Amino acid sequence: MSESTNRIMQVARHEYRAAVRSRALIILLAILVVATGFSVFIGATDYAAQLAEYDAYRAAAQAQGLTRIAPSPLAVLSLLRGAFEYLEIIGAIIAITLGYLSVSRERVSRTLPLLRSRPLTGTELAAGTFLGALAIFTTLIAATAVVGIVALGTIGNDWINPAQVLRLTLACVAALLYLSAFYCLGAIATAKAKMPANGLVIALGIWLLVVLVLPQIGDTLDADNQLPGGLFQALGLNHDGEIAVLTHFTGYEQVRTGIEEASLAKHFERFAFAMSDVKERYRPYGLPWLLNETRHDIGWLFAYAAVLFLGLRRTLTRQQPIPTGGNS
Amino acid sequence: MSEPVIELQGLQHRYDTDLVLRDVDLSIGEGEIFGFLGHNGAGKTTAMNILTTLLEPTGGTATICGYDVVTDRREVTRLIGYLPADVRMYGHMSAAENLEFLAKLSGVPDARAAARETLEYLGCADLAKRRVGTFSTGMRQRIGIAQAIVHRPHVLFLDEPTSGLDPMGVRQLRETVLQLNRDLGMTVFMNTHQLNEVSKVCTTIGVLNHGELIYNDSIEATMRRFPDEASLEDIYVRVGDLAS
Repeated sequence: MSESTNRIMQVARHEYRAAVRSRALIILLAILVVATGFSVFIGATDYAAQLAEYDAYRAAAQAQGLTRIAPSPLAVLSLLRGAFEYLEIIGAIIAITLGYLSVSRERVSRTLPLLRSRPLTGTELAAGTFLGALAIFTTLIAATAVVGIVALGTIGNDWINPAQVLRLTLACVAALLYLSAFYCLGAIATAKAKMPANGLVIALGIWLLVVLVLPQIGDTLDADNQLPGGLFQALGLNHDGEIAVLTHFTGYEQVRTGIEEASLAKHFERFAFAMSDVKERYRPYGLPWLLNETRHDIGWLFAYAAVLFLGLRRTLTRQQPIPTGGNS
Repeated sequence: MSEPVIELQGLQHRYDTDLVLRDVDLSIGEGEIFGFLGHNGAGKTTAMNILTTLLEPTGGTATICGYDVVTDRREVTRLIGYLPADVRMYGHMSAAENLEFLAKLSGVPDARAAARETLEYLGCADLAKRRVGTFSTGMRQRIGIAQAIVHRPHVLFLDEPTSGLDPMGVRQLRETVLQLNRDLGMTVFMNTHQLNEVSKVCTTIGVLNHGELIYNDSIEATMRRFPDEASLEDIYVRVGDLAS
């Protein structure tokens, strides 16, 4: 391991340990895991009943010698919808809080000069804190996923198969990118603000806009959302038919899409919902088709995370380790 | 004088329109204990912040063992140890954890052993497992010195190291500085107001007045030059009078 990598890993480890010692963060993490567990528990209980009904139908059909048996309309991964929605909302708050704590801890305790009087560059500091945050998010997402999978298997009586594990893993990667972007946002806002708490308020304001306001506007303007169950489904149109109709409303759709594209949360939601069968229209398709269909969303998530990380690196590199003005 | 370890040439620093360091030229040799004196706001801390790479000068150059503090920051930070005026450490971590973390950042191969040995060397092994957040000022100062020397630097910077210490603490710190200089051959650069401490510890002094270096010589030469003054305090006042 090179000296630079070693320093980055030390900062990452330091960041991780400091974060898990934060009571506020632990409370938020507990809320997320409990909310997820509860949501999946409720869904899985209902799912178990539906699955039993389908199994009974299937057994009866086989007993009567039917050769064409309708496939199960159930999608076990879709029960994780609540988990993704909690990650989208509460997870983003946790990520912002973590970014805030990471920067404010050094600022308030004035330990930055200690770090910067060592052979540690701003880039190494940024990479280390970012990696530490990634480790925390990985723990958080893995815990959420394990709670979900175990609940589906034990309560819903349907253990997910390897192909579903792969899709769930991809959705978790998207969640990691999503949370990393909000972490960087919280850290940048805190480092740039004169008072760390002001940075937190600004970052939460942006969260409100990106996670709640913009997607709501985009959803409200979505033609498919004008009828329960979907306008295009009511019209008996498939995905190609939907696209054919929307070509007549390109200007309107461009504005609406533009609003949605601006929302990081929407990209995460689209990708995660596609991977976890939440959207019924995606269910008939295989992974390659799904990846092609959602490539822009994962691309945007990656771009947001990368740009915000570069912003964090720039901010920490330029951050004065001592207050300007000096004692003497 | 021995080979210069710290060298300042035309060093300047400006905060907005306020020029706090004015063309400071200074050379400090290997193994010296240098006392940097000056009134509040004279520019001592600014000079130390520049020498410890925490602040970039707005003019002139500063080098540590030939390495420029701006362009060779990484090499410089390997060579120096720094005790800020307001000693801050990670309060939620123990003394040993603080030292180990900082030693690792400095690239010390066996950081844990270095932390333990440093605490033992400074006679504070009993503090190793205690959380720093619970320490008194004196304890923090000792751990502050430990973190500054855990990677065995060549040059040690101490900013107002005796501020807030009781007489026993001041005495202990003086002995520590002398011990580090004698045992480990560290060159020490110390900002201070404590003139009586300077006369007991330092080998050379410099006096900064409104950002300008108005005096720089060895303690012995200073005493010879001002034979009529009773103490270093009198000399300090006299030098200030001469400058104005």
